[in-house]
Amino acid sequence: MNGHPNILFINTDQQSWDAISAYGNPYLNTPNIDLLHQNGTSFKKSYCTDPVCAAARSSWATGLYTSETGVPFNGGQLHADILDIGQLLSRNGYRVFHCGKWHVPGRNVRDSFEVLYYGNQNIGAGGAAYYDSASTHAVTDFLTNYDSPDPFYLQIGYIDPHDVCEYLHNHEEKHIPNPLEQGILTEDDLPPLPENFNYDERETVLHRVCRRVDDALIHAPILKAVRNWDEYHWRYLRWNYYRFIEKVDAEIGRVLSILKQTPFWDNTVIIFSADHGEACGSHQMFQKFALYEESVRVPLIISCLGEGVDIKKRHLDDNYFVSGVDLFPTVCDYAGIDTPESCQGMSLRPLAEGKDIPWREYAYIESNYWGRSIVTDNYKYITEYKPKEYEDFLPPGPDSEQLGLIQLFDRISDPWETKNIAVSSDYQDVIDSCREKLLNQESQLNRQQIGHPNPKRTITNWGNRIRQYWEHEI
Amino acid sequence: MNDNMPLHWSFNYNHGAQKPQFANHLLKLLNENKINKSIDDNSEEPITYIKQVYEILPNYWKGYNRTSDTLSIGNLVIERNYEKGQFWNYNVQYQNDTSGEDLRFNFHCRDDIYRTLLESWQVDVENHSGDGYSKLLMNGVLNSDEEIQLRINDIEIEAGTVENSLPLTCNWALYDVIPTIANFKIHSGFSTEIALLEDLEHLRPKCNLGYLDSIEHPFPLDGYFLYGEGLLPSYWWVDTVQTVLVSTVFETLVLKEITRGVS
Repeated sequence: MNGHPNILFINTDQQSWDAISAYGNPYLNTPNIDLLHQNGTSFKKSYCTDPVCAAARSSWATGLYTSETGVPFNGGQLHADILDIGQLLSRNGYRVFHCGKWHVPGRNVRDSFEVLYYGNQNIGAGGAAYYDSASTHAVTDFLTNYDSPDPFYLQIGYIDPHDVCEYLHNHEEKHIPNPLEQGILTEDDLPPLPENFNYDERETVLHRVCRRVDDALIHAPILKAVRNWDEYHWRYLRWNYYRFIEKVDAEIGRVLSILKQTPFWDNTVIIFSADHGEACGSHQMFQKFALYEESVRVPLIISCLGEGVDIKKRHLDDNYFVSGVDLFPTVCDYAGIDTPESCQGMSLRPLAEGKDIPWREYAYIESNYWGRSIVTDNYKYITEYKPKEYEDFLPPGPDSEQLGLIQLFDRISDPWETKNIAVSSDYQDVIDSCREKLLNQESQLNRQQIGHPNPKRTITNWGNRIRQYWEHEI
Repeated sequence: MNDNMPLHWSFNYNHGAQKPQFANHLLKLLNENKINKSIDDNSEEPITYIKQVYEILPNYWKGYNRTSDTLSIGNLVIERNYEKGQFWNYNVQYQNDTSGEDLRFNFHCRDDIYRTLLESWQVDVENHSGDGYSKLLMNGVLNSDEEIQLRINDIEIEAGTVENSLPLTCNWALYDVIPTIANFKIHSGFSTEIALLEDLEHLRPKCNLGYLDSIEHPFPLDGYFLYGEGLLPSYWWVDTVQTVLVSTVFETLVLKEITRGVS
């Protein structure tokens, strides 16, 4: 050993921050994620960089925001010159392993990691039913056989609760009775509708075109199906979502049980997070691709089952805004490696050790290439860039002239984000302040032009649709 | 049988450009399924050997090779024989081309309604996907305190405790449990609780098993559901001679061959 700990990064897919029983959610039971919380520090103000799989994962892998990585949506391609975490660690004394979902298009996971398991047809976006159990088997095999003197970095990409997407797709081409009509559940078995099921329709153009209009750019067939849902269908979506999380929690539990019986248990840092959340009926939305809290706020726990690593236990931090870009520098810090200067994130290690250090005052989030958000203690600011008249495929920003509509929510009085106060002149100072933060943040990004033809095609097509909406509907 | 009628929603997984269409493939399998008997239907000799072969179909648009001309992603073979007039000995093979895993299960059950799991079992896994992980061997034990212990590569772990005196069974034995319950013909409102050791690995301590519906297409079938903590609802359709023809949750298993006889 080189004296540095092993690092185990366990990630789930599409798990919202509050979908953990230890945080007080009464509608599911996650004893194993709870165990990580009991043995570590959880971050309450934890945000993904972009609420969609590939984009958020490109940030995990690089410590960069998604307008920098080349993956601002699922069809993006990671810029070839960007160093990933596997490459960096393997050059610095670590054995680096991957198991399960990767989903960073443009980077072959086998070029950066020793792969334990990646499915028979290479795991794509979904398919937990096929892959999650096998991933646990692969990790079990690894943990019970690893005998190298070098420390390991192992990332396990579980797919659930992402299979809730398949649950939703299942409604596209047929009518499924609600669970009361099916006769398998009673009303008392179902979680209630979320507090923000009804929402303020004054949303950005980007969001409307991507998610609300009849021919929405993203998952229009599901949108059409859910318009025919009744209250119980929506509540049953939530019920199912929680079962998917319990399912993956059991897989995590198996890994922790095995780890506990190996020599590594006391000297392994466990980082747990999710790439993005799930709307699950909030704002009458499903899936992700939105800048509302349910989609962008994710669990993040730094834990150790033993005492071999200095981590403050049973601690729920609610001071620090942490982000998906912080994973990369955190891993570097534990591994004793200097973080590359280009990295946008900050190491969470001092925070996990209970130290009080200077930190960022807001979270910065991107979405669907043009969407942007700034989250402060008091407000959530959501805005959009209008598509450029001449698209040069350089991700937008910072450009105050090109900004479009705004949503502003008071996080103290309206935590469910139901009243867009941006329309009131009373909040112009807040809007100005948030815009300044946004532009300042973006001035520090190293955005690169997107060159791959597939994402360029997406940007062109989406841009045309959004432009048409601006021209005809606003 | 009218092949143009839609299937019940619980096992209708047609999707846009899918080739062949799921419903056609499923109906073709059911129409062609092969029934073998080594004893006469009128024989009074009890059946002590059953082998069922199910084809695995993907429920969703992901998870299978879309360039292939078949939807099949693998097979499930459940073989059991009644040993020494004391217990059922199960040998199950679940082979999935999408995951690359080939799992073999050996376990024993009491000859009761719930095929209650007996004290020890083995799971032998091979992975054919070509990466670092190639095989895993798990041995399980249910001790006298209803605690489940697993031994994996010389490491022992606790896998939970069966509580509330619920009968403990395994998902592979449900292919016998549900037909037995169906034979009682208790329909509307029927529901019972069981403990399930899913894949002989994960204990789901409290599951609800109940009657769902009865249908006439594609055959007269009685449907049952099962769900629990960490267990998404699955649906099981049993024919008039108490055989599970279709079971479905994330993938659909369709009977393509059954052998009944004397071991």
